[in-house]
Amino acid sequence: MNPAHLSSLADRELSAKARFGHVLLLLAALAMSTVVGSLCLTEPTLPARTRGAFAALTGIGLCWAAYAAWVLSSRRVLLAFQQVVAARMAVGFCAMALAGAAAVGVGHGIAAAWAAAAAFAALLLAAILLLVRARRRLRRLMARRDELERQLRGVRVS
Amino acid sequence: MEPALPPAHDPLADEWLVVRCQLGERPAFDELIQRWHQPLWRYARHLAGNDAAADDAAQEVWLRVLRGIGRLRDGAKLRSWLFGIAHRVLMDRLRDQYRRPLAADAGLELEEQPADDSAPTLEFEIAAMLEELAGLPAVEREVLTLFYLHELPLDEVAQVLTVPVGTVKSRLYRARKLLRHQLDIRGVQP
Repeated sequence: MNPAHLSSLADRELSAKARFGHVLLLLAALAMSTVVGSLCLTEPTLPARTRGAFAALTGIGLCWAAYAAWVLSSRRVLLAFQQVVAARMAVGFCAMALAGAAAVGVGHGIAAAWAAAAAFAALLLAAILLLVRARRRLRRLMARRDELERQLRGVRVS
Repeated sequence: MEPALPPAHDPLADEWLVVRCQLGERPAFDELIQRWHQPLWRYARHLAGNDAAADDAAQEVWLRVLRGIGRLRDGAKLRSWLFGIAHRVLMDRLRDQYRRPLAADAGLELEEQPADDSAPTLEFEIAAMLEELAGLPAVEREVLTLFYLHELPLDEVAQVLTVPVGTVKSRLYRARKLLRHQLDIRGVQP
C-alpha cells in the first residue's frame, strides 16, 4: 500500500463519468416515472392490465431514481464544481421536458401531458433551487480557499 | 519498528486541503494522501498488528475519506476526523479482540487515579514503548498510539475515540500502568 496505489483508488472513486452517469440515470428515471405515471393517472379508458403495467413501470422508475440518489449521496458524492454542473443539467433537462409536455398538451389536448407538465414544473423548481444552493456553496468555498491561500502565503513569508 | 513521526500539525494547511478537495480539485486529493497516508497507516499498523492487516484497514479508511470529505464541515479538524474514521474502521475489525478481558481484569491494582487534570507526561522511551505496545490490549494500545506516537492532544483523542476527556485520561493511566507492569516483568527500567 503506497500513495500511488491510493491515488489510483482516488481516480476510481472520484470518476466524474460515474457521477454524471448517475445524475443522468436519476433524471431519466424521474422523467420516465413522470410520463408513465401521468398516463396511468389521467387515462380513464386504460384496460386494467395496462394500468397495472404502467403502475409497475412507474414504480421501477422511482426505484432507479432512488438508487441513483442514494449513490450520489453516499457513494459518489458530488463535489462543489460537480454539484453546479449536475444542477445545470437538471435545470436544462427539466426545462426541456416541461416544454415538451406543455407542447403536447397545447397541440393535442392530452390530459396526461398537462399532468406531466405540472410534475416537470415542480422538478424544474427543485432543480433551480439546487442550482442556487450549489452556486452559493461553490462561491463560499472558493472565497475560503483564496482566503486560506493568502493566510498561508503570509505565514510562509513571515 | 521506527517511531511514528507525526506531520507538523497545521490546521490552516489542513483546511486549505479540505476546501480544495470539496471544490473538486483532483491534485488536492493526492496532496491529502501524501500528507496523511503514513500517519494513518502507522496508526493502523500499531492496532492491527501486521502490515497486511494495516494495508487493508488503510484502504478502507481512504475509501471512507474519499466518500465523506465533501461533507466535512470544519476542515481545520481534519486530523481528528481522519483518525476518527481510522478508529471506527479498526474497531470494526478488532471487535473480536474487544471481547477479550480488558486491562481492568488483568489483576492490576488500579485504584490509584491521576491526581490532577494535567496531561500525562512521556514516561518511557519511545523505542521500549513501541516494543511493548504490540502486546497491549487494543483499547490501551490505541490510546497510547494516539497520544504518544501521533501526539494528539487529549481533547482530540477524545474526539477520535468519541469518549469524554476524563475517559481518555483514565485509559491513558491504565495503559501506562499496564505498560509499566510489562516492562517490570521484563526487567526494563522505565
